[in-house]
Amino acid sequence: MDYVNLRRQAASLRKGLFDQGYLDEQFYQLEDLQDDASPNFVEEVVTLFFRDSARLMANIDQALDKCVKDFNKLDVYMQQLKGSCTSIGASRMKTECTAFRECCRDENIEGSHSLSILNLCMRSFQKIKREHSVLRQKLESYFQLLRQAGPVECATRPNK
Amino acid sequence: MASGRVVKALVVDDKYLIRKIYGTMLVRLGFEVTEAEDGEVAVNYFVEGNEYDLVLMDKEMKVMNGVEAIRTLKTMGVKEKMVAITSDESCNEAFLEAGVDAFLTKPVKFAELTSVLKTFDLLN
Repeated sequence: MDYVNLRRQAASLRKGLFDQGYLDEQFYQLEDLQDDASPNFVEEVVTLFFRDSARLMANIDQALDKCVKDFNKLDVYMQQLKGSCTSIGASRMKTECTAFRECCRDENIEGSHSLSILNLCMRSFQKIKREHSVLRQKLESYFQLLRQAGPVECATRPNK
Repeated sequence: MASGRVVKALVVDDKYLIRKIYGTMLVRLGFEVTEAEDGEVAVNYFVEGNEYDLVLMDKEMKVMNGVEAIRTLKTMGVKEKMVAITSDESCNEAFLEAGVDAFLTKPVKFAELTSVLKTFDLLN
């Protein structure tokens, strides 16, 4: 198996994740914490993130499906999701979470209609789901390549 | 800080993901780490007689939030260093009134955590 080529593919995929804004500086923090004592730390944390975020998104989905107009509740769920995104550097997801929270806050503007705000929230949430799905796909591919390529000496940051 | 002594940290956050990240940072810095999923669990650890050199405390937790937990611990006479982990500065005033010793803003960077712990003389 061509391990060099696999590592090159992994590095390219990783660089793309940063260049396209899917990941930010916080992901470097996770990589810097990976060492011989915790050789799979980054993948473990990312796995936890997707498990956590899937649960939170299911809660939000359920609330939106029931046309729940408790925008404070929706905002709380989204705050938690945004917090998780921030912790692993899921930058594009974080941005969409912020946009969703802005929609929830619009509910407090005089003259705004709950139903139209709900529709805005639903559209915003679809964007979050898309970003979540794409990020998951890309990171799963990345870690699969890393596993196939075998262990490397140390994590390195792409040249800026 | 005497070299060789085990320094103990309590990480309080309702998200396992966050506890894992901060816990790993603290282990890297030489701490023995205990986790608590909310403020009430953290308070109970102290009530049971456990001792820690450092507490990292999140704000929003279901059973007992971080501000309430710090206030309770201070009332109990806990003197160890308490660091609040906040999303933004709007949370700081409540934590200050509760008696927190320092703040870190999410996402916590390893260098920032190290810097705060140096000011507390908690690093060997």
